[in-house]
Amino acid sequence: MVEFSWDVRSPLERALVAGPYGAHGDAGVSLTEIRNFDLVQVMARRGKAAETATAANGHFGVAAPETPKAVRTADATLIWSGPDQFFVLSKGGRHGMGALAPGFSGSASLSDQSHARVLISISGTKARMMLAKLSSIDLHAEAFPVGAAAATSMDHTSVTLWRGNDRTDGQAVFNVLVFATFAESLWQMMLDSGAEYGIEIAYSEDLA
Amino acid sequence: MRIVCPFCGERELGEFTYLGDAKPVRPVAGAPEDEVFDYVYLRDNIAGVMEENWYHGGGCRAWLKVTRNTLTHEISLVEPAAGAGARHVVK
Repeated sequence: MVEFSWDVRSPLERALVAGPYGAHGDAGVSLTEIRNFDLVQVMARRGKAAETATAANGHFGVAAPETPKAVRTADATLIWSGPDQFFVLSKGGRHGMGALAPGFSGSASLSDQSHARVLISISGTKARMMLAKLSSIDLHAEAFPVGAAAATSMDHTSVTLWRGNDRTDGQAVFNVLVFATFAESLWQMMLDSGAEYGIEIAYSEDLA
Repeated sequence: MRIVCPFCGERELGEFTYLGDAKPVRPVAGAPEDEVFDYVYLRDNIAGVMEENWYHGGGCRAWLKVTRNTLTHEISLVEPAAGAGARHVVK
């Protein structure tokens, strides 16, 4: 039998070139791809929404979001992705499939999306200007505060968007989960949209 | 045109896909052929208020039942379609 060696590579490995892009000077937009995360979709089975909510509460110690919001626990983020369903974003296997499966047995269906999505973090003084070209969501601080989330489309591609905690310099942080095979297309669109503001491109091997 | 998704809030038309009339009901098994033919092929061409199925595929992926005036595009009601689930709606 042939031995295969599977390398885990980012779908953006070719497209992402770390460093400055577009207009010179201080970058108005920071684009950071975050790699090596665990992502599990939890979907309540028919008629089992209440049991799923109880199971989530038992596992995470907080209620899973039931409206478009992102909830942070000590070591995971729960992001609403649709009616009676949410994503669990974490790292290091603490809330991966193996850890979640026993608690949700019988109430929800879980599916591992860790390698099916790309996570892009967008911040900077011009982040909203750039995102306004891609998204029809109102991202004003009052309309889309920290913890707000949306299942929406950018450039005809379904994404999960949420606002994380602000950077230490006070700038808002927008996180986007996009299907792996659409990531390169959306990435190029983000570069085109942000070029006039100057972009600082980076990637992180670790979920903050 | 915008649709206020009961789960997501107000969204642009591009996030939605139109299926059609929400009124036809699937005949029971063994129903006469003309009833099945009617269900599968025949549609009213309503000038006025009608109930329609829409899919929020660019968002929460829920099926919605939208009451829309085909003459004015005015939408008077958006509800989760039967079986779309969710105990909680935004508005």
